[in-house]
Amino acid sequence: MPDVSIVPDTVNERLLTTTGDSQLATHAALWLIISVLILPIALAAVYSTQTTNAVYQITNVFPGSALVENYTTVLFEYNFGQYMWNSFVMATVVIVGKLVFSLLAATALVYYDFRFQSLIFYAILFTLLMPLPVRIVPLYQLMADIGWLNSFAGLTSPFIASATAVFLFRQQFRSIPASVVETAKLDGIGPIQFLINVLIPMSKGMIAGVTAIMFISTWNAYLWPLVAIIDRTNQVAQVGLRYIQGTGAEGFVQWNLVMAAGILVLIPPLIVLLVARRYLLSTLGGGE
Amino acid sequence: MARIELESLQKEFGETVAVNDISLSVPDGEFLVLVGPSGCGKSTLLRTISGLESQTSGDISIGDNRVTNVEPKDRGVAMVFQDYALYPHMTARRNMTFGLDSHVSMSDDEIEQAVQDVGETLGIGDLLDRTPDALSGGEKQRVAMGRALLREPDVFLLDEPLSNLDAKLRDQMRAELTQLHERIGTTTIYVTHDQTEAMTLGDRVAVMNDGEIEQVESPQVLYDEPASRFVAEFIGSPQMNFLPVDVEGRSRPTVTTLQRHLTSPFPTPNETSLPATDNAVLGVRPEDLYLAQETEDDSFAGPVEMTVTLHETLGDSVVLHGTVANERIRIRTSQRPNVTAGDTIRVVVDPTRLHLFDSDGDTLAHAAEKMVQTV
Amino acid sequence: MTEQHSRLQVFTSNWQAAALLLPTLALIAVFLYYPFLETVQLSFYQLRVLGSGEWVGLQNYVQLFESGAYRNSLVVTVLFTAATVTASLFLSLIISFLIHEANRFTNLYLVAAIWPYAMPIAVAGIVLDFLINPRIGVVTWAIEVLTGFQFAWQTNGALALVAVIIAAVWQGLGYSIIFMTAAFNQVPDSITDAAKLDGIGRFQRLFRIYVPLISPVLVFLIVIQTIGAFFGGFALIDLMTSGGPSNATNVLMFNLYQDAFLNQRFGYASAQSIVLFGFVAVLMYVQLRVTDRYAYYGGA
Repeated sequence: MPDVSIVPDTVNERLLTTTGDSQLATHAALWLIISVLILPIALAAVYSTQTTNAVYQITNVFPGSALVENYTTVLFEYNFGQYMWNSFVMATVVIVGKLVFSLLAATALVYYDFRFQSLIFYAILFTLLMPLPVRIVPLYQLMADIGWLNSFAGLTSPFIASATAVFLFRQQFRSIPASVVETAKLDGIGPIQFLINVLIPMSKGMIAGVTAIMFISTWNAYLWPLVAIIDRTNQVAQVGLRYIQGTGAEGFVQWNLVMAAGILVLIPPLIVLLVARRYLLSTLGGGE
Repeated sequence: MARIELESLQKEFGETVAVNDISLSVPDGEFLVLVGPSGCGKSTLLRTISGLESQTSGDISIGDNRVTNVEPKDRGVAMVFQDYALYPHMTARRNMTFGLDSHVSMSDDEIEQAVQDVGETLGIGDLLDRTPDALSGGEKQRVAMGRALLREPDVFLLDEPLSNLDAKLRDQMRAELTQLHERIGTTTIYVTHDQTEAMTLGDRVAVMNDGEIEQVESPQVLYDEPASRFVAEFIGSPQMNFLPVDVEGRSRPTVTTLQRHLTSPFPTPNETSLPATDNAVLGVRPEDLYLAQETEDDSFAGPVEMTVTLHETLGDSVVLHGTVANERIRIRTSQRPNVTAGDTIRVVVDPTRLHLFDSDGDTLAHAAEKMVQTV
Repeated sequence: MTEQHSRLQVFTSNWQAAALLLPTLALIAVFLYYPFLETVQLSFYQLRVLGSGEWVGLQNYVQLFESGAYRNSLVVTVLFTAATVTASLFLSLIISFLIHEANRFTNLYLVAAIWPYAMPIAVAGIVLDFLINPRIGVVTWAIEVLTGFQFAWQTNGALALVAVIIAAVWQGLGYSIIFMTAAFNQVPDSITDAAKLDGIGRFQRLFRIYVPLISPVLVFLIVIQTIGAFFGGFALIDLMTSGGPSNATNVLMFNLYQDAFLNQRFGYASAQSIVLFGFVAVLMYVQLRVTDRYAYYGGA
């Protein structure tokens, strides 16, 4: 708010009216919008506590009595405990793999000079044009041929090489002042030591941001697990939703359980977003 | 023993020649300053000596070793950068010791002690456990120097280390640098664009222009006997006055300038003769011009009438800008003349402080004088 | 390669560089380039069983162009994409603008607005599946009670598309808001102050001043969201509509899945993959050219 005491009155009036009451409208609008955004999930959470009878009463939007019962049923009878574990393992493997491989690759691309360096970088970037749907058929065939279907290896390997991560880390490394790098060179420090003791500590924010983004996108992956996993016990949580939605006698889905499953599956990425939002925002928004 | 020898050193970047066939000897223990305008190649030369850039041709020796193709870490050099180059996530202590192993072999205890000693010497003993974001500019620069000192190098290379500091701090650190050098005595090459810094710090100063060294001498000699117009222009503030001039006479030459308003004898060393020419340039420093009223020395040439256009107060002296016969002149005097723009003053010249350059910028002669002996 | 960047190249060993790049390049070769090239090859075959088939040249592509079902998918996808991207970007713009204008609670608003980014698309699908369920969904009930309108999206094709679009927009807002708020934050305060001093109204400010200033980010988002919409609808469709009713929501991606894994027509599906690739390539190219242009004019 500008210092209104030094500004002539007519201007004061205009500033106050354009900023004063419009703030009220702004906040009101925002609260309304946010309520709309949250409403469906809030309802889902409420429904996840109801008994099946209650959930079929359309006008019953009040918390029910079956919270513990619903969630334990979903976790154990419907195997969501197992599915979520699978999702965690998948996410962990993918994240660790992506981080290690991309950091190494970015180091090579920034701190070395060799023939075809640009070409290799563009070859990596070019893979952005090859999202899963464009390669899914042969990928499936490949996994079938090498016997990796239905395994963690098959589930995770298509995701580990990441052009985006390489691109982001390369950009991050390039922003480190040349004099810091030259100081290390003058001391004869080797590349791995340099990566571990200098580059990674100086890139913590971006690493955290990339990790958060990767967790969310890996956890939320649907199509590839659907295709690559055959035994239900090996399946990830997202596809588990498909299972639980299809249960129940014809036309009689236990929606309270489905909602509970949905809430369960939502929680981990939501927590990651909330905890790491600063890093995620600066990585995506570009340094703020 | 750590003298430095550069033999016909050449560094090119594609088409651009940054360092042009430079040969230079730096005796052991000397504090040599490389000074020149932006783009003259001084930083490139420094970086080539360090090994961060590899030369296009030529040789470098440090001490008894030819280091031309040797890795930077094996050359026995330590470098300090303009932006301090500290690792932001490490403490000052860790910044200084990281990477030390490849230079000296000391036990952990010895390193501890050495860090403490260096910290005390530089006045940062209490700050060693802080990270760079908790240090001021001057403190960061000291940490950078501490890092260099710990490596016990044969040669210190300093690339404009004081340029990021404010003026007062710079003065203070300059004095400290000089004291440090007197105590430790390591051969040092120091790059700066500031000629005051160069003059006050260097045992010798090398003035660079366009990839070449125009002159390398002690500061006083550079000031009194600049080898070219470029050096004369670069060294000394305010800048030397340059006037078109006619040279007459053989063994007792006289110079005439300012549309014949000023004629002065030009005493030459050993009374050698000067060629007669009407195509030369006379150089005279503002401090070698005097107000007619402040001196009784009748060997001084002039007076000429100068119309004042600007009065600058420096505190200990006054610089007056003005014109004489359509030439712009600056005079610096320790008097406090009560003049402003539009006033006229009468100016005289000390003939023993004149310099003569030809139209290509080479020095023709310096007037003979009672020079201050360089010690 | 600027001088600054060449100063960074402090290591010289080529084999070290190779070792550092090898893992990434190996994975890329095996799991990205190889399958991609295989897709191209497969698209020229007709396969019933993986591993054996006959070369049919461009027949698959011809079939695609002549296929009413495929054309339908194309139309559905274009509609879905256009509606999702437009609605999503428009809403994100308003929301980001409001957050930028608010003088307090901005962090709270931001988090509350971007949380859908974390929401799995499958969750969005099943939650809405229930909430707007024509028989027992509370939202459909409320709509009917208030307006008399029956939101029968399980039987009405157009309404099914609307339902899916709503789910997609809901989930996709977070991503756009993240980028747009960052872009808004980069607009200097002085511009806002100057506009306010001139008494320029809120929405004038938004559309006449801010939108041009953040246009590079808008273009980026349009391209990314479009590409995402081409592919990302899959989980929603699978969970909510299975492509129906009567193929009304059979987007290209879903059609591909069905042909590949349900109908076992691998060659035909591969041809569809290549067509999708074509779309993505064109869109990415457009994005590159447009941001280049803005770079020249010093866009934000």
